[in-house]
Amino acid sequence: MSGRLITLLPALVLVLCYLMTAPDQAPAYMAQWTSEVRRNVPVPPSQFASALARFVIFRRAAPFRATLLEGNSNQGTGSALLNFFRRMADSSWSVGLHESRYAYDLIESIHVWALCLFFGLAVMFDLRLLGWTMRSVPVSEVARRLLPWTAVGFVVMVISGALLFSAIPLRSFQNIFFRTKMILLMVAGINVLIFHSGVYRRVISWDLDLTPPRAARVAGALSLVLWVAIVLSGRMIAYNWFDCDRQPQPAIINFLTSCVPTEAEH
Amino acid sequence: MSLLSFFQWCEQSGIGEAIRRSAWLFPLIEAIHLLGLGLIGGAVLVVDLRLLGLGLRRQSVAQLARDAQPWLIGSLVLMIITGSLLFLSEAIKCYYHPAFWLKMTSLFLAIVFTFTVQRKVTMADQTRVRPLWGKVVALVSVLLWSGVGIGGRWIGFS
Repeated sequence: MSGRLITLLPALVLVLCYLMTAPDQAPAYMAQWTSEVRRNVPVPPSQFASALARFVIFRRAAPFRATLLEGNSNQGTGSALLNFFRRMADSSWSVGLHESRYAYDLIESIHVWALCLFFGLAVMFDLRLLGWTMRSVPVSEVARRLLPWTAVGFVVMVISGALLFSAIPLRSFQNIFFRTKMILLMVAGINVLIFHSGVYRRVISWDLDLTPPRAARVAGALSLVLWVAIVLSGRMIAYNWFDCDRQPQPAIINFLTSCVPTEAEH
Repeated sequence: MSLLSFFQWCEQSGIGEAIRRSAWLFPLIEAIHLLGLGLIGGAVLVVDLRLLGLGLRRQSVAQLARDAQPWLIGSLVLMIITGSLLFLSEAIKCYYHPAFWLKMTSLFLAIVFTFTVQRKVTMADQTRVRPLWGKVVALVSVLLWSGVGIGGRWIGFS
């Protein structure tokens, strides 16, 4: 149940993040378009970005249209999302957070602190699933008592993470480690979902096993590997080795970061 | 030898030099250091939440402390090894950074506290320890370890 919520959270936060940061500051000449645009929104079908755009346009048709028209440097993949984060980067919220003396560092510290709460306790649970610690404690007891804390930690991580992202949205969005991290987060969420809707439903039958059944051990090991990878890729977001403004990069990197270098940078 | 000259000697050591010269060695060690922090957090919190009555409840404190101990010590060793390597590469910066000294102070206190006072409370017969005393010990432990983690994070901020 809570696993299902956890998989939805990143998407929810992304949307919230946009609604919070999007300024109502379309160029003045765009204002008169509003009613017209709302009826005639150019949304190319079958793309995640455009689905998100469709959702957002209900509220803010004109500003979004404005950036779609203005953003002309990137026609490649993900250009709608790219423009969306470009606008976020221009918001006073983002600039304020980015330039603040202590706010960013403080949020970063909270992110690291919550990492201990979330990652630490999640790892302890995974280790129990592997039968490597707390072997005398029933698995369901560990889950009931400790997983609520990992949920608290996760919520704090997502909120503080979204704030950190909103301070540097465009660069983060085009950062290869950030993208890796988001994909791994989804995979980890699916793993949680499978575990809770699968072998964990029969937990009564293996609650006191010193070494839980194979499916549970696989879920634990997978979770361990995934969260470690997520922490590692999260830490690496800070480094700019593969950033868009550091050309030349291999074509595959530019493809993966949806980066279109200008002619001069080739 | 004064403290500063010791730090200078660390900074000039071959290992420090090698880490500084490499583009990916520092990030890699730093990342492992962070994983160790998470693991310490888990091992500490399992016991502290038990003492606070907010986590596991049916198991004895002593049993949980014994279960968490190898992971606590293992990750502490990992942290100290990777931390020393990081330190060697930027010893002078650390010398002048208040966060470094905050971290070292909390680390010293946290280690001493965990392996003396807290161990005594967790291993004692629970019927003879006042619950309030257990909670105070857990809170102090969480605060000290938080100081270590947050202080460490702030070494990276200039």
